[in-house]
Amino acid sequence: MKLLRQFQKLKTNKILGRYYGLILLALMAFFFFAVFKLLSPANFGSLDNLYFYLQSSIIYSVGACGFYFIVVMGLFDFSIGANVVLSSIVGVLLSKQFGYIGLLFGCVLCGTLIGFINGLLYIKLTIPSMIVTVGLMLIYESAAYYVAGGVKQVLDPSMQAFGRAPGNILLAFAAFLATNAILKYTRTGTYCYAIGSNEYTAKIMGINVNRQKLVGFVLCHLFVGVMAVLSVSYGTSMTATTGMTSMARNFTPLMGTFFGVAFRKYGTAIPAIIIGEFIIAIIFNGFVALGAPTTVQNIVTGAALLAIVAITAQPQKGAVAK
Amino acid sequence: MTDTFLTAEDVDKSFGITHAVNHVSLQVARGEIRGLIGENGSGKSTFCSLLCGIYGLDCGRFTLKGNELKIHNQVEANKQGISIIVQEMGTLAGLTVAENIFLGHEDRFIRYGIKHTAAMNREAQKLLDAYGFTHINATLMIDNFHFEDRKLIEIVKATYFKPEITIIDETTTALSQHGREELYKLMEATKADGRTIIFISHDLSEVIQHTDTISVLRDGMLIDTVQSDAVTEDDLKKLMVGRELNKQYYRTDYESAAGDEVLLEVRGVCVPGQIEDISFDLHKGEILGFGGLSECGMHELGKAVFGASFDRKGTVTLKGGVRIHAIPDAISHSIAYASKDRDNESIIVNSSIRDNIVLPSADDLADHRILHKKKLDRFAVEHAQGMSVKMTDIDQFVSDLSGGNKQKVVLARWLGKASDILVLDSPTRGIDVNVKADIYALMDNLRLQGKSIIMISEELQELLGMCDRIMIMKNGKINAEFSRSPALNEEDIIVKML
Amino acid sequence: MTQRQTPAKPAAVFFEKLRSFFSNPHVKAFYPLVGLLLIITVFSIMTEGRITSLRSIRLILSQVYPLMIACTGVFMVMTLGSLDFSQGSIIGMASIVVSALSFYSIPLAILGGILTGAAIGLFNGLIHVRFKIPSFIVTICTMYLFRGLCAYLTTNAPVAAMPSITALNQDWIKLLITCGTLLVTFVLFQFTKLGINLKSIGAGEMAARYSGVRTDLTKVLVFTAAGLITGIAAFVNVVKVGSITSTAGNQFETQILIALVLGGLPISGGSKVRFSNIIIGTLISLILSNGLVMLGLDTALQQLIKGVIFLAVVALTIDRKSLQVIK
Repeated sequence: MKLLRQFQKLKTNKILGRYYGLILLALMAFFFFAVFKLLSPANFGSLDNLYFYLQSSIIYSVGACGFYFIVVMGLFDFSIGANVVLSSIVGVLLSKQFGYIGLLFGCVLCGTLIGFINGLLYIKLTIPSMIVTVGLMLIYESAAYYVAGGVKQVLDPSMQAFGRAPGNILLAFAAFLATNAILKYTRTGTYCYAIGSNEYTAKIMGINVNRQKLVGFVLCHLFVGVMAVLSVSYGTSMTATTGMTSMARNFTPLMGTFFGVAFRKYGTAIPAIIIGEFIIAIIFNGFVALGAPTTVQNIVTGAALLAIVAITAQPQKGAVAK
Repeated sequence: MTDTFLTAEDVDKSFGITHAVNHVSLQVARGEIRGLIGENGSGKSTFCSLLCGIYGLDCGRFTLKGNELKIHNQVEANKQGISIIVQEMGTLAGLTVAENIFLGHEDRFIRYGIKHTAAMNREAQKLLDAYGFTHINATLMIDNFHFEDRKLIEIVKATYFKPEITIIDETTTALSQHGREELYKLMEATKADGRTIIFISHDLSEVIQHTDTISVLRDGMLIDTVQSDAVTEDDLKKLMVGRELNKQYYRTDYESAAGDEVLLEVRGVCVPGQIEDISFDLHKGEILGFGGLSECGMHELGKAVFGASFDRKGTVTLKGGVRIHAIPDAISHSIAYASKDRDNESIIVNSSIRDNIVLPSADDLADHRILHKKKLDRFAVEHAQGMSVKMTDIDQFVSDLSGGNKQKVVLARWLGKASDILVLDSPTRGIDVNVKADIYALMDNLRLQGKSIIMISEELQELLGMCDRIMIMKNGKINAEFSRSPALNEEDIIVKML
Repeated sequence: MTQRQTPAKPAAVFFEKLRSFFSNPHVKAFYPLVGLLLIITVFSIMTEGRITSLRSIRLILSQVYPLMIACTGVFMVMTLGSLDFSQGSIIGMASIVVSALSFYSIPLAILGGILTGAAIGLFNGLIHVRFKIPSFIVTICTMYLFRGLCAYLTTNAPVAAMPSITALNQDWIKLLITCGTLLVTFVLFQFTKLGINLKSIGAGEMAARYSGVRTDLTKVLVFTAAGLITGIAAFVNVVKVGSITSTAGNQFETQILIALVLGGLPISGGSKVRFSNIIIGTLISLILSNGLVMLGLDTALQQLIKGVIFLAVVALTIDRKSLQVIK
């Protein structure tokens, strides 16, 4: 217990205090790494392995960073997964004609357009974000099916630079730097937090809340478009299916966003997202290395996330949580 | 003729069927401190909201220094020289102090879309120091500061750009004496600088003392504008209400009907950081008052007695030995509570009058756990009518009611529960004069019936008028006790509060 | 600016009366029912009456049971203003337990399913209340967790129930169970203090607490109940499908959400919920799905239309007044 208290004292330490959140996250990552390394030293945890885990986790991190803009304002979006599907397909189709430019512009512009539609409908129809995005998810899945012509879209091997290093890392880090800069150094960042804090007061103070929310949706889906580039390059193909299957793609990025929100009070949202997704990747792969079926991944992820949110939650006495 | 600075011409605003501001015209001079008073629903807050762009005008216009004002939000208002310090929380959690101060006006720190945070922080700290609030660090999250400091930050935010017109909307009620002093200093400095203040407050003595002139609104219309040094509180009350207050407001007797029977025993009650070692007895038929400065802990004490505090130590015991630990205990043993924060803690705003009244009595009204709608309706109607709640029907949502009627619904609920002990925290806050009189009459009736009341209030007059005993709290402890007597006056009490 | 004295034109008065009629909350309460009738009418015309044929009704009913039962539990959760995204995993897990226990005895299987559902629901409720984590986060995590568990248990093969269990796949049995669940919940909600407590917590939790409602206990109970009720739905599910695959219950929680919203349930719960939201919503949702199938449309096109209609219905029926700030 003394150790714990001493550790918590770090928070007020002049130099290390600023990095308290990061240190905490790094410790968590190390903890899980150590556990799995001890349990299966042969299959897990070599530098190559870690490098591999990092590359798969940054795909989700990019999406999570985009999603963060929305979640911070108290909104939600179920169509992230459908965006990845639709944007990937558009990107692949355009890549056939215009190469890398087609891939990048196709995915990102499609994502941005989706964000714009989401934001616009949310504002004009005045429906809660959770509900309007469920409806839009259904629509985008169908749209993806039609755009793909019912055919699996395969990305040409010559265009898969973003599916491996250094392409993927460069693109992902560009996205991280961009989202971090927007949050810290622009009005948008401040206004997003302001709206999340108290929308009514923010509105009275002259912030154009509707416009800000629209910007939030556009930013979110723009970066999900970038995630689509990384996703389809890594997976080399994308198939459009209906039946709300895209919902499954929502949750891994969402977990990264939770990390961001939980660690926001330490001032380290974006790094928290990146390290958080990395931790999840470690856990996933740790279990695979142990020979556990992939289904166990989900069990552990759910449990781990629950544990992390429970530990980092410090609600005020008498606060109301819905 | 003094140069007219600000003019309102035929300003009009309605919300649905409510005609909030009814063709009001007035003029304010340069460097004048104009008080604006009126009961709840008189239109004073709406009028100011129109002036600073929170609502749009239906009709009429505002003119400042000869130019018509076209304002759609607070940022535009600020740019045209109007600023408001609001009644509720005007700052946002999750942002730093500096971000709050410059919210909406970050332009000067932005170049090519990038916000220069360090420069912004430096500017903010300079301003805070200039106001004398050196203890506030501009780079910290505003969450680190308590309500009063946050209000001070809001004052900086609203006035640093030296607005021509500063509206202070019922801000003083929430501030401690220190905070109020700061505000009065600011008002004097503003006046000396040739700029104007519109000052809204329910505290008539404060308004008379700190303003040059006072405008009185009633039912959305301007009744009169008077010179502050030429009126008394009673004159103002008459103008506000429109007729002689011939009812006696408070109790007229000086005999306590309180017996020796102790209904409630409070011993050694502590809530960390709020109250310490509180002990007292509550007698049957007694009105026991608690007074003090806003942060003295009396509000927390009310919650503690009701079982609503977290981390409470000490005992609250009923006659017969039952200990009160939690709210359900308190209610089932006949204790009632009306909170100062009416809209969040007393009344369920988005719910019907019936549901609000019936809620704690649900178990009592059930036949073998089954509730019959007719029975509930009858119960609710009986008690709502008993309190003369102005409503369309029992299904009406409480959100449609005025502050006074909401409080009546709260009281109707506890009368329906037939509670023997009522803890009333600021029961007449923000309520118009007529309803206030009704509530005082009710309290008097209840004590004569043998019920006991703990009355917590920041208004000394009503404590003096209504209570058998008054406990004054200071810094979380009981500092003095006074008994009801015609000789007791405010000065005696104030000394013990400060 | 306009003077108030000019006499209003008759047309303007008429439109004003019309507008206030349609905004009247008592009238708005009928919108979902009107929606249902509208959908039945539209599809009757477009499918030339096939949708109202006996065969079609039986088909629709066979899909109604698990959905309507589960909606009943989630209805109570949403009245509180909370959400439950773990329903799919609950029905999956409970179905597996039912199947496994069906080899011993049917009543045991039913009990097992119910207890499994209740256990998961209890877990949801306790974590939500103890750590004050928003319910949608807690239930998304448990959804993930138990979905993984379901998938794990069905890795090698679907979990088959005793074959003779499908003999219980009779309409009257399923109808009985469904109506029974609805009736019991209705009585509890409408005629005991449960309903008023749930609505109060949804409308103003803090004030409800100050009126003596045991908010934490109620929340835990409601989440447990929602799980328990879905356990019942699991049984009805098993008798129909006979064996549980790894995708059992996928997206079930979204189907429930869509059904309740189509039925007019306010997303933040509170005082304006009505029990009829469950029934009307489920019917609208299923008639819509089946109607589109009957029209012989492409699956993707069906989903597209469903999405558009969903958005349209919600946009028209949502009660904006009680949502001061729309999130």
